[in-house]
Amino acid sequence: MTILDARGISKRYGGLLALADVDLSVAESEFVALIGPNGAGKSTLLNVLTGLTPPTSGTITLNARNVTRSATHSRIRAGLGRTFQHGRLFERLSVLENVMVGAANRPGRSDTALRKAALDTLGLMGLERFAHQPISALTYGNRRMVELTRALAGQPRILLLDEPGAGLNSGEVEDLMTRLRAIRAEHRLAIVLIEHNMGMVMRLAERIVVLNFGSKIAEGTPTAIQADPAVLDAYLGAGSSYAGV
Amino acid sequence: MALRLLGLVGLLVVGFALSLSVSEYALRLLNLAAIAGISVIGLNFAFGYVGLISLGHAAFMGLGAYILAILTTQAGWSPWLASVPAILGTGLCAAAIGFPLLRLKGHYLALATLGLNVSFVIVAANWIELTGGTNGIAKIPGLSIAGYALSGEQPFLWFALVILACLGFVASLIQSSRHGRAMMAVRDDETAAAMTGINVTAIKVAAFALSALYAAVAGCLFATHVNFVSPDDFGFAQSITFLSMLIVGGEGTIVGAILGATLLTFLPEWLRVLGDSYLAFFGLMMLGILIFLPTGIIGLFDRWRRRAPAPETAAAEVAQP
Amino acid sequence: MLACRDLTVAYGDIVALRGVDLAVNAGETVALIGANGAGKTTLLQTISGLNKVRSGEMLFKDEPLGPRSSAERVRMGIAHAPEGRRIFPGLTVQENLIVATAAWRRLGKSCEAELGQVFDLFPRLKERRHQLGWSLSGGEQQMLAIGRALMSRPKFLLLDEPSLGLAPRLAEEVYDRVGRISKTGLTILVVEQNTVLALAVANRGYVLETGRVVLAGSADELRRSDRVREAYLGR
Repeated sequence: MTILDARGISKRYGGLLALADVDLSVAESEFVALIGPNGAGKSTLLNVLTGLTPPTSGTITLNARNVTRSATHSRIRAGLGRTFQHGRLFERLSVLENVMVGAANRPGRSDTALRKAALDTLGLMGLERFAHQPISALTYGNRRMVELTRALAGQPRILLLDEPGAGLNSGEVEDLMTRLRAIRAEHRLAIVLIEHNMGMVMRLAERIVVLNFGSKIAEGTPTAIQADPAVLDAYLGAGSSYAGV
Repeated sequence: MALRLLGLVGLLVVGFALSLSVSEYALRLLNLAAIAGISVIGLNFAFGYVGLISLGHAAFMGLGAYILAILTTQAGWSPWLASVPAILGTGLCAAAIGFPLLRLKGHYLALATLGLNVSFVIVAANWIELTGGTNGIAKIPGLSIAGYALSGEQPFLWFALVILACLGFVASLIQSSRHGRAMMAVRDDETAAAMTGINVTAIKVAAFALSALYAAVAGCLFATHVNFVSPDDFGFAQSITFLSMLIVGGEGTIVGAILGATLLTFLPEWLRVLGDSYLAFFGLMMLGILIFLPTGIIGLFDRWRRRAPAPETAAAEVAQP
Repeated sequence: MLACRDLTVAYGDIVALRGVDLAVNAGETVALIGANGAGKTTLLQTISGLNKVRSGEMLFKDEPLGPRSSAERVRMGIAHAPEGRRIFPGLTVQENLIVATAAWRRLGKSCEAELGQVFDLFPRLKERRHQLGWSLSGGEQQMLAIGRALMSRPKFLLLDEPSLGLAPRLAEEVYDRVGRISKTGLTILVVEQNTVLALAVANRGYVLETGRVVLAGSADELRRSDRVREAYLGR
């Protein structure tokens, strides 16, 4: 069943068309990667999907609900989760409190219940020992993991990850990939991943969507995408699909 | 919870002890400090937790004070009864203004709240039939509990301390609740807060209204203690003083709010010897605090007490495929 | 002209460049290509003095760059056209260009000669010389950024992703100009995600992948190499 269905998304900033008629559909438990050169519109698409900026045209359906005009917090409560490039944590709150904020996206849970939910999620991610530490004490890699944990604590049905691997060393990337696979399997969570680390993308994604200059130029399995001339052109430059021949 | 109750009791004990041992003049200052303390704890919600730069806080205090003053002197209400519409009315007013106002951020919000304060003073000074204009409203009746009038510095101080302690306790309950965390999240990163399901607008308006409620309580206490209100008591200079109290004491903390309020109420007195150059000293002190000690006195305590544990170096440069 | 030996640059605990060995000889144009996040911009910023070196060394004309401030490096002849253009939106085209002469110009001296050269290279800028920076298109802004770098009388030009955000035709036009600048003998290090454009103007190139140099060679060699495709789209 389809969790997220974005149709005909266009975004215009004055004279600049940042997104042109982009369709993105994600089914339950699917792992989709969104790639494309710098400036292709990937983060813009994420911002439109999460409600940070309205689309100029197009519709967004989440869990069969039309959320095109909904506020960000409504979309989160409807099952969306998102992490940011470089991670955005609440610096004044402890690790546990950060995750508790994530767990609180549904009204009515008592503080004790929130605390337990947060500790459970931290445990799932192997981060319980950091629970009472201030954010400033974390390494960059752990910060990104805490942000991911916070998003997971909200029990989303679909998670949008913006370059989760950026700035991580290879060991941390491996760890991240293992966790993503595990979480997805256990919670039947759909994931949309923006990444430049092609190693991650090719090994994790079932389906890859490629953007360039705001349009979708290709969509398919990792193997297909790696051989797609339009994709090669986009990354390496026009005429590059003939390079190496 | 234990720490909280300890703080509450501690405040009452210290305050009570002081009330029995200091001079009449010091008692007067303590009363003003307690009233300011309540107001600044309110400001802490808006500025300390949510990060809204409110330079109009004194206007809410004034609104509460004036509503009580008008209802008691012109409509004959008892001050207890009058305090209800004074406090609730101010809160509702803040909520209503909040919705449009809080779309502004940073210096724009600061200027807008400043404008609010200035407007309040102008209305109070010119709507003579209602407010007595610049002459203010005099002979506001004082409070009495079960027939016992709270006139005189000492009895009023006991009452004010109880109110301060209770409101401080409530504030600390809010601070450690999910709403308190949500408020701090909004200040730390508004976009990320929205991304965890927090209704940012609702939080901002709620914090703003809450700060106004506390300010109105302070206003009522002020009116029934000094028995006189005038527009000058609630000008933007007073708003800036409240903000200074919060910053000096330690923004984002309740103890800091009380500490800052007390310190900056007594400071002009202790430095009376400086005469006119007191203002210069005050300005330099604020500058110094902002540069060297932006987290205030409580921040200094915190830094000293809690040295952050060394970050886990997850073999950052080693792991190779 | 520029030599980097075993250069390591890190932001806190994130290592952006690891043991990078790179050299640019006088008169050459060298391309630095790689996927996003590979460390290309970090390298340029380090050369400009915007980042601190964790270990390793950087030599400019055989002298260590280490202690020199960014302003000093500009005076030494290093000019940087940064990623995303970063032109001054509130100044006119001409003002943007003149501002960049602060490194060498003394009060009263004119910079007409340099302005003339830039306008010859970019006639579109000459047409718009009194237009404000923000009103220029992306391509024009890119030309302005390069022109501005040229105004400081550089000996070594750093170009960070000149094709970023530009439609293919505009990107080609920009690179056509870069090619012309290269032929005048100016030493250039151009960082690019688009390999075809970069290798078209370069003599040599390096491929960067997660902070390491994984391939180096002449432009021809790189054009023919499969390894380049792998660096972008994985194995």
